[in-house]
Amino acid sequence: MGSVETLIDKCVKLSPAPVVIARVASMLSSGEYNSKELEDLIMTDEAISASVLRTANSAAYGVPGRVFDLREGIVRLGSKTLRRIVLEHKSSELFDGAGEAYGLRRQDLWRGSVGGALAAELIAESRKVCEPGVAYVAGLLRDIGKLAVDVALGADAFRDIDPDETPERGFTEQERLRLGVDHAELGAALAKRWNLPDRICAAIHHHHRPPEPGETGADPLIDVVHAADFITLWSGLCIGDDGLQYQLAPHVRESLKIDRASAEHEIVETMTRFRDLEEAISGHSEQGAA
Amino acid sequence: MSMTQTALKPSQADAKGGITIGVADIAITNDPNATLVTYALGSCIGVTIYDPIAKIGGMLHFMLPLSKVNPDKAAKRPAMFADTGIPLLFRSAYELGAQKERMIVCAAGGAEILNDDGHFRVGSRNRTMLRKLFWKNNILLSADETGGNISRTLVMPLSDGTVSIRNRGKEKTLWAA
Repeated sequence: MGSVETLIDKCVKLSPAPVVIARVASMLSSGEYNSKELEDLIMTDEAISASVLRTANSAAYGVPGRVFDLREGIVRLGSKTLRRIVLEHKSSELFDGAGEAYGLRRQDLWRGSVGGALAAELIAESRKVCEPGVAYVAGLLRDIGKLAVDVALGADAFRDIDPDETPERGFTEQERLRLGVDHAELGAALAKRWNLPDRICAAIHHHHRPPEPGETGADPLIDVVHAADFITLWSGLCIGDDGLQYQLAPHVRESLKIDRASAEHEIVETMTRFRDLEEAISGHSEQGAA
Repeated sequence: MSMTQTALKPSQADAKGGITIGVADIAITNDPNATLVTYALGSCIGVTIYDPIAKIGGMLHFMLPLSKVNPDKAAKRPAMFADTGIPLLFRSAYELGAQKERMIVCAAGGAEILNDDGHFRVGSRNRTMLRKLFWKNNILLSADETGGNISRTLVMPLSDGTVSIRNRGKEKTLWAA
């Protein structure tokens, strides 16, 4: 574990602890929500304030002929939407430029993270097996270990792999061959160092190998994050050099009752929510067919 | 093919000459200096069409085979599905002056997760729907590379319509005049 600790040390130096994300994650995990703290945080961050204003005055939340100022916007949007705006902005800073080891383009890892967050929230809402807000944060942070892989291996680390070579148990095998650990284990170590709640650290650790029911550490939150990872892959939001080389655990498929129809519904819904979010953040509609 | 969607307006290339097609996105162009590109296709499929005489090209990046999953979403974003995106792609090219009999059609993507065991088959169902639509409409695929479990980036410059696939930094030609 010595080398993992050294790697995490290096990573922490390059990516300072995401204090705001950790704080919001703690609020959600403990259920102790501090609305005043969240308001203060919004008021002191220019980008988040702008996003709150845009959202409060958007077609979905606004009132025709009326423009809400920041304080009114905060009241109007409510805690759930505000938490999301904060997390989406802060995660964008965290993941900015990350994912080079996997051949990802700028912001791709952030797109995959937010896609995973939205999918996890959606699955948690429909299956009612865990708190959707906690599932959102765990889905958002599940791949933070890729930040550490970037630090360890540098850009395009997996480009020498033969495209026809399919690892039997998934791409995490390739990571273990090069590093001795995979991005999920690294992510959990990093999350621990950043003082994220234990349950979220466990979800990050096991999101590619969820323990079976009855096994130590089994938690529906892990299952939800694991399933959300596949919805994100099928949504095409973050496909890197690792491709689709991951396995969906049969016990998760069964316990969460994921079939073709539900998966397709969640793929469409995740992509729709992601596009809405992207447009809200950029403040304009992108070019496309709509 | 169904003709319910209004044809697309031609896209203009950015300063570097690129037109990027995102997931569930579509573009058509007659800009001879443009290069159409869609990044990192997984189970999704990228379709290119090119009329070498009219110099009209288009690209679609669809996610799922059938719009019946959510007809409302399909109406808003037809490029999400094969059965709404493909007709829109062809119709838009025809409106711009392309002709069916000259069209070069290529496709890439349709990968699967490991050990799917027939449960989801998102990639292969996308491939099946693509072929079914083309077969029904007498359209021949000039070249394609689909399946497996890898990521593929699809590129087509309008200058000559060459279609290339990139994977893990390596590029190969799928179709060239």
